[in-house]
Amino acid sequence: MIAISRGSAALAWLIRLAAIAMALSMLPSMAVAATDPAKPPGDPVANYWREVRQGVPGLSQVDGAESGVLINAAGQQWREQRNGPLKRYGAMILLAMLGIIVLFYLVRGPMRLSAPPTGRKIQRFTPFERFVHWGTAITFILMGLTGLAVLFGRSVLGPLIGSGGLGGLLGLGKLVHNYLGPVFLAFTILLILVFLRDNVWAKCDAQWIARAGGMFSSGDHIPSGRFNFGEKAWFWLGVTFLGLFVAGTGLLLDFPALIDRTRELMQNLVLLHAIGAVLLLAMSLGHIYMATLGVEGAMESMKTGEVDETWAKEHHELWYEETKAGRSSHM
Amino acid sequence: MARMKFLCDAERCIECNACVTACKNEHEVQWGINRRRVVTINDGEPNEKSISVACMHCTDAPCAAVCPVDIFYTTEDGVVLHNKDACIGCGYCLFACPFGAPQFPQDGAFGERGKMDKCTFCGGGPEEDNSPAERAKYGRNRLAEGKLPLCAEMCSTKALLAGDANEVSDIFRERVVARGSNRGAWGQNLQFNPLGGTRR
Ligand code: SF4
Ligand code: SF4
Repeated sequence: MIAISRGSAALAWLIRLAAIAMALSMLPSMAVAATDPAKPPGDPVANYWREVRQGVPGLSQVDGAESGVLINAAGQQWREQRNGPLKRYGAMILLAMLGIIVLFYLVRGPMRLSAPPTGRKIQRFTPFERFVHWGTAITFILMGLTGLAVLFGRSVLGPLIGSGGLGGLLGLGKLVHNYLGPVFLAFTILLILVFLRDNVWAKCDAQWIARAGGMFSSGDHIPSGRFNFGEKAWFWLGVTFLGLFVAGTGLLLDFPALIDRTRELMQNLVLLHAIGAVLLLAMSLGHIYMATLGVEGAMESMKTGEVDETWAKEHHELWYEETKAGRSSHM
Repeated sequence: MARMKFLCDAERCIECNACVTACKNEHEVQWGINRRRVVTINDGEPNEKSISVACMHCTDAPCAAVCPVDIFYTTEDGVVLHNKDACIGCGYCLFACPFGAPQFPQDGAFGERGKMDKCTFCGGGPEEDNSPAERAKYGRNRLAEGKLPLCAEMCSTKALLAGDANEVSDIFRERVVARGSNRGAWGQNLQFNPLGGTRR
Protein backbone atom coordinates (compact mmCIF):
# COMPACT_ATOMS: atom_id res chain seq x y z
CA MET A 1 0.00 0.00 0.00
CA ILE A 2 2.85 2.30 0.82
CA ALA A 3 4.33 1.67 -2.56
CA ILE A 4 1.04 2.46 -4.23
CA SER A 5 0.48 5.74 -2.48
CA ARG A 6 4.08 6.74 -3.02
CA GLY A 7 3.63 5.84 -6.66
CA SER A 8 0.58 7.97 -7.17
CA ALA A 9 2.19 10.85 -5.33
CA ALA A 10 5.09 10.52 -7.71
CA LEU A 11 2.67 10.43 -10.63
CA ALA A 12 0.94 13.57 -9.50
CA TRP A 13 4.29 15.20 -9.01
CA LEU A 14 5.48 14.15 -12.39
CA ILE A 15 2.46 15.46 -14.19
CA ARG A 16 2.97 18.69 -12.38
CA LEU A 17 6.61 18.79 -13.33
CA ALA A 18 5.75 18.11 -16.93
CA ALA A 19 3.04 20.70 -16.92
CA ILE A 20 5.30 23.23 -15.43
CA ALA A 21 8.50 22.63 -17.28
CA MET A 22 6.76 22.97 -20.59
CA ALA A 23 3.82 25.19 -20.03
CA LEU A 24 5.08 27.64 -17.51
CA SER A 25 5.76 29.95 -20.39
CA MET A 26 2.06 30.13 -21.04
CA LEU A 27 1.42 31.06 -17.47
CA PRO A 28 -0.39 34.35 -18.17
CA SER A 29 -3.22 32.59 -19.89
CA MET A 30 -2.73 29.28 -18.11
CA ALA A 31 -3.46 30.82 -14.76
CA VAL A 32 -7.17 31.04 -15.42
CA ALA A 33 -7.30 27.48 -16.62
CA ALA A 34 -5.39 26.34 -13.61
CA THR A 35 -7.66 28.04 -11.09
CA ASP A 36 -10.79 26.99 -12.87
CA PRO A 37 -10.62 23.55 -14.37
CA ALA A 38 -14.24 23.82 -15.42
CA LYS A 39 -13.49 26.79 -17.62
CA PRO A 40 -15.60 26.63 -20.75
CA PRO A 41 -13.85 25.03 -23.70
CA GLY A 42 -12.40 27.36 -26.22
CA ASP A 43 -9.37 28.78 -24.51
CA PRO A 44 -6.83 27.74 -27.12
CA VAL A 45 -3.91 27.58 -24.76
CA ALA A 46 -5.74 25.46 -22.23
CA ASN A 47 -6.96 23.14 -24.95
CA TYR A 48 -3.52 22.91 -26.38
CA TRP A 49 -2.02 22.05 -23.07
CA ARG A 50 -4.64 19.38 -22.41
CA GLU A 51 -3.80 17.81 -25.75
CA VAL A 52 -0.11 17.81 -25.04
CA ARG A 53 -0.70 16.06 -21.76
CA GLN A 54 -2.86 13.44 -23.41
CA GLY A 55 -0.10 12.72 -25.88
CA VAL A 56 -1.64 14.26 -29.02
CA PRO A 57 1.32 14.64 -31.36
CA GLY A 58 2.63 17.89 -32.78
CA LEU A 59 5.16 18.31 -35.50
CA SER A 60 8.89 17.75 -35.11
CA GLN A 61 11.69 18.11 -37.60
CA VAL A 62 13.49 15.34 -35.77
CA ASP A 63 12.69 11.99 -37.32
CA GLY A 64 11.81 9.08 -35.14
CA ALA A 65 8.97 7.10 -33.69
CA GLU A 66 6.61 9.44 -31.85
CA SER A 67 9.06 12.33 -31.96
CA GLY A 68 6.11 14.72 -32.16
CA VAL A 69 4.64 13.47 -28.92
CA LEU A 70 5.70 15.71 -26.04
CA ILE A 71 4.30 13.70 -23.16
CA ASN A 72 4.27 9.93 -22.94
CA ALA A 73 1.15 9.88 -20.83
CA ALA A 74 1.25 6.18 -19.94
CA GLY A 75 4.92 6.00 -18.97
CA GLN A 76 4.56 6.64 -15.27
CA GLN A 77 1.59 4.29 -15.07
CA TRP A 78 3.61 1.57 -16.75
CA ARG A 79 6.44 2.11 -14.33
CA GLU A 80 4.08 1.72 -11.39
CA GLN A 81 2.44 -1.39 -12.81
CA ARG A 82 5.71 -3.06 -13.64
CA ASN A 83 7.61 -2.16 -10.49
CA GLY A 84 4.53 -2.61 -8.32
CA PRO A 85 1.89 -5.30 -8.87
CA LEU A 86 3.72 -7.17 -11.62
CA LYS A 87 6.84 -7.74 -9.56
CA ARG A 88 4.97 -8.16 -6.27
CA TYR A 89 2.29 -10.59 -7.39
CA GLY A 90 4.66 -12.30 -9.82
CA ALA A 91 7.04 -13.13 -7.00
CA MET A 92 4.16 -14.16 -4.74
CA ILE A 93 2.67 -16.54 -7.30
CA LEU A 94 5.99 -18.23 -8.00
CA LEU A 95 6.95 -18.53 -4.34
CA ALA A 96 3.48 -19.78 -3.40
CA MET A 97 3.69 -22.47 -6.06
CA LEU A 98 7.11 -23.53 -4.80
CA GLY A 99 5.76 -23.62 -1.26
CA ILE A 100 2.78 -25.76 -2.23
CA ILE A 101 5.04 -28.22 -3.99
CA VAL A 102 7.43 -28.50 -1.07
CA LEU A 103 4.49 -28.99 1.28
CA PHE A 104 2.96 -31.60 -1.01
CA TYR A 105 6.25 -33.42 -1.19
CA LEU A 106 6.63 -33.44 2.59
CA VAL A 107 3.08 -34.57 3.22
CA ARG A 108 2.42 -36.92 0.36
CA GLY A 109 5.90 -37.85 -0.77
CA PRO A 110 6.63 -39.38 -4.14
CA MET A 111 4.09 -41.72 -5.70
CA ARG A 112 5.71 -45.12 -5.79
CA LEU A 113 4.70 -48.22 -7.68
CA SER A 114 2.56 -50.56 -5.61
CA ALA A 115 3.53 -53.71 -7.48
CA PRO A 116 7.12 -54.71 -8.14
CA PRO A 117 8.47 -53.85 -11.59
CA THR A 118 8.22 -56.68 -14.07
CA GLY A 119 11.47 -55.89 -15.82
CA ARG A 120 9.64 -55.90 -19.13
CA LYS A 121 9.84 -52.54 -20.89
CA ILE A 122 7.47 -50.98 -23.33
CA GLN A 123 8.12 -47.89 -25.40
CA ARG A 124 6.36 -44.77 -24.23
CA PHE A 125 8.01 -42.03 -26.29
CA THR A 126 9.65 -42.22 -29.69
CA PRO A 127 13.08 -40.61 -30.17
CA PHE A 128 11.46 -37.80 -32.14
CA GLU A 129 8.96 -37.13 -29.38
CA ARG A 130 11.76 -37.00 -26.87
CA PHE A 131 13.77 -34.67 -29.08
CA VAL A 132 10.83 -32.29 -29.35
CA HIS A 133 10.13 -32.49 -25.64
CA TRP A 134 13.71 -31.82 -24.57
CA GLY A 135 14.14 -29.10 -27.16
CA THR A 136 11.12 -27.34 -25.72
CA ALA A 137 12.20 -28.03 -22.14
CA ILE A 138 15.74 -26.73 -22.51
CA THR A 139 14.77 -23.60 -24.41
CA PHE A 140 11.95 -23.04 -21.92
CA ILE A 141 14.28 -23.22 -18.93
CA LEU A 142 16.75 -20.83 -20.53
CA MET A 143 13.93 -18.44 -21.48
CA GLY A 144 12.51 -18.67 -17.98
CA LEU A 145 15.79 -18.00 -16.20
CA THR A 146 16.78 -15.08 -18.42
CA GLY A 147 13.28 -13.64 -18.27
CA LEU A 148 13.19 -13.87 -14.49
CA ALA A 149 16.56 -12.15 -14.42
CA VAL A 150 15.16 -9.19 -16.37
CA LEU A 151 12.21 -8.83 -14.00
CA PHE A 152 13.77 -9.72 -10.65
CA GLY A 153 17.54 -9.60 -11.27
CA ARG A 154 17.91 -6.02 -10.10
CA SER A 155 16.12 -6.68 -6.81
CA VAL A 156 17.58 -10.11 -6.12
CA LEU A 157 21.07 -10.06 -7.63
CA GLY A 158 21.63 -6.30 -7.78
CA PRO A 159 22.79 -5.96 -4.16
CA LEU A 160 25.23 -8.84 -4.69
CA ILE A 161 26.78 -8.17 -8.08
CA GLY A 162 26.04 -4.49 -8.62
CA SER A 163 25.01 -2.70 -11.77
CA GLY A 164 28.12 -3.74 -13.68
CA GLY A 165 27.53 -7.41 -12.90
CA LEU A 166 23.89 -7.09 -13.84
CA GLY A 167 24.94 -5.49 -17.11
CA GLY A 168 27.21 -8.41 -17.98
CA LEU A 169 24.70 -11.03 -16.95
CA LEU A 170 21.66 -9.44 -18.52
CA GLY A 171 23.56 -8.36 -21.61
CA LEU A 172 24.16 -12.04 -22.29
CA GLY A 173 20.72 -12.94 -20.96
CA LYS A 174 19.01 -10.56 -23.34
CA LEU A 175 20.83 -12.06 -26.31
CA VAL A 176 19.87 -15.58 -25.25
CA HIS A 177 16.29 -14.55 -24.54
CA ASN A 178 15.82 -12.66 -27.80
CA TYR A 179 17.44 -15.19 -30.10
CA LEU A 180 16.13 -18.31 -28.41
CA GLY A 181 12.57 -16.97 -28.31
CA PRO A 182 11.70 -17.93 -31.89
CA VAL A 183 13.34 -21.35 -31.36
CA PHE A 184 11.17 -21.89 -28.31
CA LEU A 185 8.12 -20.95 -30.34
CA ALA A 186 9.06 -23.43 -33.06
CA PHE A 187 9.56 -26.22 -30.51
CA THR A 188 6.30 -25.37 -28.78
CA ILE A 189 4.39 -25.64 -32.04
CA LEU A 190 6.05 -28.97 -32.80
CA LEU A 191 5.28 -30.22 -29.31
CA ILE A 192 1.64 -29.31 -29.68
CA LEU A 193 1.40 -31.08 -33.03
CA VAL A 194 3.19 -34.19 -31.78
CA PHE A 195 1.08 -34.70 -28.67
CA LEU A 196 -2.22 -33.20 -29.80
CA ARG A 197 -4.08 -36.44 -30.56
CA ASP A 198 -3.28 -37.93 -27.16
CA ASN A 199 -4.60 -34.91 -25.33
CA VAL A 200 -8.24 -34.90 -26.37
CA TRP A 201 -10.94 -35.43 -23.80
CA ALA A 202 -11.63 -39.05 -22.87
CA LYS A 203 -14.34 -40.55 -20.69
CA CYS A 204 -11.87 -41.66 -18.05
CA ASP A 205 -10.88 -38.02 -17.49
CA ALA A 206 -14.10 -37.37 -15.57
CA GLN A 207 -13.15 -40.10 -13.13
CA TRP A 208 -9.66 -38.66 -12.82
CA ILE A 209 -11.10 -35.27 -11.94
CA ALA A 210 -13.56 -36.74 -9.45
CA ARG A 211 -10.74 -38.47 -7.58
CA ALA A 212 -8.22 -35.64 -8.01
CA GLY A 213 -5.95 -37.91 -9.97
CA GLY A 214 -5.33 -40.09 -6.94
CA MET A 215 -2.86 -37.48 -5.78
CA PHE A 216 -4.09 -37.61 -2.20
CA SER A 217 -4.59 -41.36 -1.85
CA SER A 218 -1.75 -43.76 -2.33
CA GLY A 219 -2.41 -46.94 -4.20
CA ASP A 220 -5.40 -45.41 -5.94
CA HIS A 221 -4.92 -46.18 -9.61
CA ILE A 222 -7.17 -44.33 -11.93
CA PRO A 223 -7.19 -45.72 -15.42
CA SER A 224 -6.20 -43.23 -18.08
CA GLY A 225 -5.06 -43.18 -21.65
CA ARG A 226 -1.61 -42.19 -22.82
CA PHE A 227 -1.94 -38.98 -20.83
CA ASN A 228 -4.06 -38.41 -17.77
CA PHE A 229 -6.20 -35.38 -17.19
CA GLY A 230 -3.49 -33.56 -15.23
CA GLU A 231 -1.14 -33.89 -18.14
CA LYS A 232 -3.87 -32.80 -20.53
CA ALA A 233 -4.53 -29.69 -18.45
CA TRP A 234 -0.84 -28.83 -18.61
CA PHE A 235 -0.89 -29.49 -22.35
CA TRP A 236 -3.82 -27.18 -23.07
CA LEU A 237 -3.48 -24.47 -20.45
CA GLY A 238 0.25 -24.44 -20.09
CA VAL A 239 1.95 -25.52 -23.29
CA THR A 240 -0.69 -24.53 -25.79
CA PHE A 241 -2.43 -21.47 -24.41
CA LEU A 242 0.22 -19.85 -22.22
CA GLY A 243 3.13 -21.16 -24.28
CA LEU A 244 1.83 -19.72 -27.53
CA PHE A 245 0.70 -16.54 -25.81
CA VAL A 246 4.05 -15.86 -24.17
CA ALA A 247 6.05 -16.84 -27.26
CA GLY A 248 3.76 -14.77 -29.50
CA THR A 249 3.94 -11.60 -27.43
CA GLY A 250 7.68 -12.19 -27.13
CA LEU A 251 8.06 -12.39 -30.88
CA LEU A 252 6.35 -9.01 -31.26
CA LEU A 253 8.70 -7.55 -28.65
CA ASP A 254 11.68 -9.11 -30.30
CA PHE A 255 12.12 -6.91 -33.34
CA PRO A 256 11.33 -3.35 -32.35
CA ALA A 257 12.91 -1.86 -35.45
CA LEU A 258 11.03 -3.84 -38.07
CA ILE A 259 7.58 -2.45 -37.45
CA ASP A 260 6.81 1.00 -36.16
CA ARG A 261 5.52 0.18 -32.72
CA THR A 262 4.34 2.79 -30.31
CA ARG A 263 5.54 2.92 -26.76
CA GLU A 264 2.05 2.20 -25.56
CA LEU A 265 1.94 -1.06 -27.49
CA MET A 266 5.35 -2.06 -26.19
CA GLN A 267 4.33 -1.23 -22.62
CA ASN A 268 1.26 -3.42 -22.88
CA LEU A 269 3.17 -6.22 -24.57
CA VAL A 270 5.81 -6.25 -21.85
CA LEU A 271 3.13 -6.50 -19.16
CA LEU A 272 1.11 -9.20 -20.93
CA HIS A 273 4.24 -11.16 -21.78
CA ALA A 274 5.40 -11.07 -18.17
CA ILE A 275 2.01 -12.01 -16.70
CA GLY A 276 1.71 -14.96 -19.07
CA ALA A 277 5.29 -16.00 -18.36
CA VAL A 278 4.81 -15.95 -14.59
CA LEU A 279 1.70 -18.14 -14.87
CA LEU A 280 3.44 -20.50 -17.29
CA LEU A 281 6.47 -20.78 -15.02
CA ALA A 282 4.25 -21.49 -12.03
CA MET A 283 2.44 -24.25 -13.92
CA SER A 284 5.70 -25.64 -15.22
CA LEU A 285 6.93 -26.09 -11.63
CA GLY A 286 4.06 -28.51 -11.10
CA HIS A 287 4.93 -30.41 -14.27
CA ILE A 288 8.63 -30.53 -13.42
CA TYR A 289 7.90 -31.74 -9.89
CA MET A 290 5.64 -34.53 -11.13
CA ALA A 291 8.21 -35.62 -13.68
CA THR A 292 11.19 -35.65 -11.34
CA LEU A 293 10.44 -36.12 -7.64
CA GLY A 294 6.69 -36.57 -7.67
CA VAL A 295 6.18 -39.78 -9.60
CA GLU A 296 8.63 -42.64 -9.44
CA GLY A 297 9.66 -43.72 -12.90
CA ALA A 298 8.22 -40.73 -14.76
CA MET A 299 11.56 -39.18 -15.54
CA GLU A 300 12.85 -42.45 -16.94
CA SER A 301 10.16 -42.48 -19.60
CA MET A 302 11.32 -39.20 -21.09
CA LYS A 303 14.99 -40.07 -20.61
CA THR A 304 15.00 -43.50 -22.22
CA GLY A 305 11.64 -43.52 -23.94
CA GLU A 306 10.69 -46.74 -22.15
CA VAL A 307 8.73 -47.61 -19.05
CA ASP A 308 8.26 -50.75 -17.05
CA GLU A 309 5.00 -52.59 -17.66
CA THR A 310 4.01 -52.18 -14.02
CA TRP A 311 4.45 -48.43 -14.31
CA ALA A 312 2.39 -48.37 -17.47
CA LYS A 313 -0.38 -50.43 -15.88
CA GLU A 314 -0.53 -48.36 -12.73
CA HIS A 315 -0.37 -44.92 -14.29
CA HIS A 316 -1.85 -45.29 -17.76
CA GLU A 317 -3.85 -48.48 -17.74
CA LEU A 318 -5.92 -47.88 -20.85
CA TRP A 319 -2.85 -46.88 -22.82
CA TYR A 320 -1.09 -50.00 -21.53
CA GLU A 321 -3.89 -52.25 -22.66
CA GLU A 322 -4.07 -50.63 -26.06
CA THR A 323 -0.34 -50.95 -26.47
CA LYS A 324 -0.38 -54.55 -25.41
CA ALA A 325 -3.21 -55.30 -27.81
CA GLY A 326 -1.14 -53.67 -30.54
CA ARG A 327 -3.72 -50.99 -31.06
CA SER A 328 -1.55 -48.09 -30.03
CA SER A 329 -0.44 -45.90 -32.88
CA HIS A 330 2.75 -45.00 -31.09
CA MET A 331 4.77 -48.12 -31.42
CA MET B 1 24.61 23.16 -4.39
CA ALA B 2 22.94 23.82 -7.67
CA ARG B 3 19.81 22.04 -8.74
CA MET B 4 20.00 21.93 -12.52
CA LYS B 5 16.87 22.36 -14.61
CA PHE B 6 15.82 23.12 -18.14
CA LEU B 7 12.96 25.43 -18.92
CA CYS B 8 11.57 26.25 -22.33
CA ASP B 9 9.62 29.44 -22.88
CA ALA B 10 7.08 28.63 -25.57
CA GLU B 11 6.33 32.36 -25.98
CA ARG B 12 9.85 32.73 -27.30
CA CYS B 13 10.76 29.52 -29.08
CA ILE B 14 10.77 30.09 -32.83
CA GLU B 15 11.42 26.50 -33.85
CA CYS B 16 14.80 27.21 -35.39
CA ASN B 17 16.10 23.83 -34.22
CA ALA B 18 19.48 25.36 -33.44
CA CYS B 19 19.49 23.68 -30.02
CA VAL B 20 19.01 20.32 -31.72
CA THR B 21 21.86 20.97 -34.10
CA ALA B 22 24.20 22.46 -31.51
CA CYS B 23 23.72 19.49 -29.21
CA LYS B 24 24.31 17.02 -31.98
CA ASN B 25 27.48 18.80 -33.02
CA GLU B 26 28.85 19.48 -29.54
CA HIS B 27 28.60 15.85 -28.50
CA GLU B 28 29.16 14.28 -31.89
CA VAL B 29 26.06 12.22 -31.25
CA GLN B 30 25.72 8.97 -33.18
CA TRP B 31 24.12 8.83 -36.58
CA GLY B 32 20.34 8.81 -36.44
CA ILE B 33 20.12 10.13 -32.90
CA ASN B 34 19.08 13.52 -31.61
CA ARG B 35 19.19 14.12 -27.90
CA ARG B 36 16.96 17.15 -28.19
CA ARG B 37 13.99 17.87 -30.41
CA VAL B 38 11.63 20.76 -31.03
CA VAL B 39 7.92 20.00 -31.18
CA THR B 40 5.47 22.42 -32.71
CA ILE B 41 1.85 22.21 -31.71
CA ASN B 42 -0.90 23.68 -33.91
CA ASP B 43 1.59 24.18 -36.69
CA GLY B 44 0.49 26.97 -39.04
CA GLU B 45 -2.44 28.04 -36.89
CA PRO B 46 -2.78 31.26 -34.93
CA ASN B 47 -1.98 29.62 -31.60
CA GLU B 48 1.11 27.81 -32.81
CA LYS B 49 3.61 27.06 -30.07
CA SER B 50 6.98 25.38 -30.15
CA ILE B 51 8.80 23.67 -27.32
CA SER B 52 12.30 22.31 -27.21
CA VAL B 53 12.47 19.09 -25.24
CA ALA B 54 15.15 16.67 -24.08
CA CYS B 55 15.71 14.76 -20.88
CA MET B 56 14.25 16.91 -18.09
CA HIS B 57 16.41 15.27 -15.42
CA CYS B 58 13.47 14.17 -13.32
CA THR B 59 13.75 14.12 -9.56
CA ASP B 60 12.10 10.72 -9.18
CA ALA B 61 13.25 9.51 -12.58
CA PRO B 62 11.02 6.81 -14.12
CA CYS B 63 13.86 5.65 -16.38
CA ALA B 64 16.01 4.89 -13.35
CA ALA B 65 13.17 3.08 -11.63
CA VAL B 66 12.51 0.59 -14.43
CA CYS B 67 16.04 -0.02 -15.72
CA PRO B 68 16.68 -3.76 -15.12
CA VAL B 69 20.41 -3.16 -14.73
CA ASP B 70 20.15 -0.06 -12.57
CA ILE B 71 22.54 2.10 -14.56
CA PHE B 72 21.17 5.55 -13.75
CA TYR B 73 22.51 7.90 -11.13
CA THR B 74 21.73 11.46 -10.16
CA THR B 75 24.64 13.82 -9.66
CA GLU B 76 24.91 16.33 -6.84
CA ASP B 77 23.56 18.90 -9.27
CA GLY B 78 20.43 16.89 -9.90
CA VAL B 79 21.51 15.73 -13.36
CA VAL B 80 20.38 12.23 -14.33
CA LEU B 81 23.27 10.36 -15.96
CA HIS B 82 23.73 6.76 -17.01
CA ASN B 83 26.47 4.18 -17.45
CA LYS B 84 26.39 3.03 -21.05
CA ASP B 85 28.75 0.13 -20.45
CA ALA B 86 26.12 -1.85 -18.57
CA CYS B 87 23.13 -0.86 -20.72
CA ILE B 88 21.52 -3.86 -22.42
CA GLY B 89 19.31 -1.86 -24.78
CA CYS B 90 16.01 -3.20 -23.51
CA GLY B 91 14.21 0.09 -24.12
CA TYR B 92 12.36 0.10 -20.81
CA CYS B 93 13.64 3.59 -19.96
CA LEU B 94 12.04 4.88 -23.15
CA PHE B 95 8.73 3.19 -22.32
CA ALA B 96 8.70 4.86 -18.90
CA CYS B 97 10.16 8.29 -19.69
CA PRO B 98 7.50 11.02 -19.78
CA PHE B 99 9.35 12.97 -22.48
CA GLY B 100 10.63 10.35 -24.91
CA ALA B 101 14.20 11.31 -24.06
CA PRO B 102 16.09 7.99 -24.31
CA GLN B 103 17.30 7.29 -27.84
CA PHE B 104 18.69 4.12 -29.36
CA PRO B 105 21.09 3.46 -32.21
CA GLN B 106 20.18 0.44 -34.27
CA ASP B 107 22.53 -2.40 -33.70
CA GLY B 108 23.07 -5.91 -35.00
CA ALA B 109 21.50 -7.92 -37.75
CA PHE B 110 17.90 -7.42 -36.69
CA GLY B 111 18.10 -3.73 -35.95
CA GLU B 112 18.02 -4.28 -32.22
CA ARG B 113 18.46 -1.43 -29.82
CA GLY B 114 22.03 -0.51 -29.07
CA LYS B 115 23.13 1.29 -25.94
CA MET B 116 20.83 4.05 -24.81
CA ASP B 117 21.82 7.65 -25.47
CA LYS B 118 20.22 10.72 -24.00
CA CYS B 119 20.82 14.30 -22.96
CA THR B 120 23.43 14.52 -20.18
CA PHE B 121 22.83 18.18 -19.39
CA CYS B 122 26.29 18.46 -20.96
CA GLY B 123 27.48 16.51 -17.92
CA GLY B 124 29.19 13.47 -19.46
CA GLY B 125 29.08 10.10 -17.77
CA PRO B 126 30.73 8.01 -15.06
CA GLU B 127 34.20 8.12 -16.63
CA GLU B 128 36.80 10.69 -15.67
CA ASP B 129 35.75 14.20 -16.72
CA ASN B 130 36.46 14.86 -20.38
CA SER B 131 38.56 11.75 -20.76
CA PRO B 132 38.57 10.30 -24.28
CA ALA B 133 36.34 7.44 -23.07
CA GLU B 134 33.78 9.83 -21.64
CA ARG B 135 33.98 11.99 -24.73
CA ALA B 136 33.36 9.05 -27.04
CA LYS B 137 30.36 7.70 -25.13
CA TYR B 138 28.62 10.76 -23.79
CA GLY B 139 30.08 13.76 -25.59
CA ARG B 140 31.60 16.81 -24.02
CA ASN B 141 31.41 17.44 -20.29
CA ARG B 142 30.76 21.18 -20.20
CA LEU B 143 29.63 21.15 -16.59
CA ALA B 144 33.10 19.96 -15.57
CA GLU B 145 34.48 22.95 -17.47
CA GLY B 146 32.20 25.30 -15.56
CA LYS B 147 29.90 25.83 -18.54
CA LEU B 148 26.19 25.31 -18.93
CA PRO B 149 24.45 23.21 -21.63
CA LEU B 150 25.21 24.51 -25.09
CA CYS B 151 21.63 24.29 -26.36
CA ALA B 152 20.52 26.93 -23.89
CA GLU B 153 23.74 28.94 -24.10
CA MET B 154 23.34 29.54 -27.80
CA CYS B 155 19.54 29.82 -28.00
CA SER B 156 19.03 33.01 -30.01
CA THR B 157 15.76 34.03 -28.38
CA LYS B 158 16.73 32.71 -24.96
CA ALA B 159 13.62 30.59 -24.99
CA LEU B 160 15.56 27.65 -23.64
CA LEU B 161 17.00 28.23 -20.20
CA ALA B 162 19.31 25.86 -18.37
CA GLY B 163 21.02 26.18 -15.05
CA ASP B 164 20.40 26.39 -11.37
CA ALA B 165 16.70 26.11 -10.64
CA ASN B 166 16.52 29.30 -8.62
CA GLU B 167 18.23 31.39 -11.23
CA VAL B 168 16.15 29.98 -14.06
CA SER B 169 13.09 30.65 -12.01
CA ASP B 170 14.16 34.27 -11.32
CA ILE B 171 14.73 34.95 -15.00
CA PHE B 172 11.38 33.55 -15.86
CA ARG B 173 9.65 35.53 -13.15
CA GLU B 174 11.10 38.73 -14.59
CA ARG B 175 9.65 37.82 -17.95
CA VAL B 176 6.23 37.25 -16.51
CA VAL B 177 6.37 40.68 -14.94
CA ALA B 178 7.63 42.28 -18.14
CA ARG B 179 4.82 40.74 -20.10
CA GLY B 180 2.58 42.85 -17.94
CA SER B 181 0.29 40.23 -16.69
CA ASN B 182 -0.64 40.10 -13.04
CA ARG B 183 -2.29 36.84 -13.74
CA GLY B 184 1.05 35.53 -14.79
CA ALA B 185 2.63 36.32 -11.49
CA TRP B 186 0.01 34.33 -9.74
CA GLY B 187 0.95 30.86 -8.80
CA GLN B 188 4.61 31.30 -9.39
CA ASN B 189 5.24 31.08 -5.68
CA LEU B 190 2.00 29.55 -4.50
CA GLN B 191 0.66 26.99 -6.82
CA PHE B 192 3.55 25.96 -8.91
CA ASN B 193 6.81 24.56 -7.88
CA PRO B 194 8.18 24.83 -11.33
CA LEU B 195 11.65 23.63 -10.85
CA GLY B 196 11.31 20.61 -8.70
CA GLY B 197 12.63 19.64 -5.34
CA THR B 198 12.46 21.65 -2.21
CA ARG B 199 9.93 24.46 -2.24
CA ARG B 200 6.24 23.87 -2.23
S1 SF4 C 1 15.34 10.10 -19.41
FE1 SF4 C 1 13.22 10.69 -19.16
S2 SF4 C 1 12.60 9.74 -17.22
FE2 SF4 C 1 14.83 9.76 -17.26
S3 SF4 C 1 15.41 11.63 -16.18
FE3 SF4 C 1 15.35 12.11 -18.39
S4 SF4 C 1 13.27 12.88 -18.73
FE4 SF4 C 1 13.25 11.83 -16.74
S1 SF4 D 1 17.82 0.44 -22.41
FE1 SF4 D 1 19.63 0.50 -21.06
S2 SF4 D 1 19.31 2.30 -19.77
FE2 SF4 D 1 17.35 1.84 -20.71
S3 SF4 D 1 16.29 0.55 -19.19
FE3 SF4 D 1 17.33 -0.85 -20.63
S4 SF4 D 1 19.33 -1.27 -19.71
FE4 SF4 D 1 18.49 0.53 -18.63
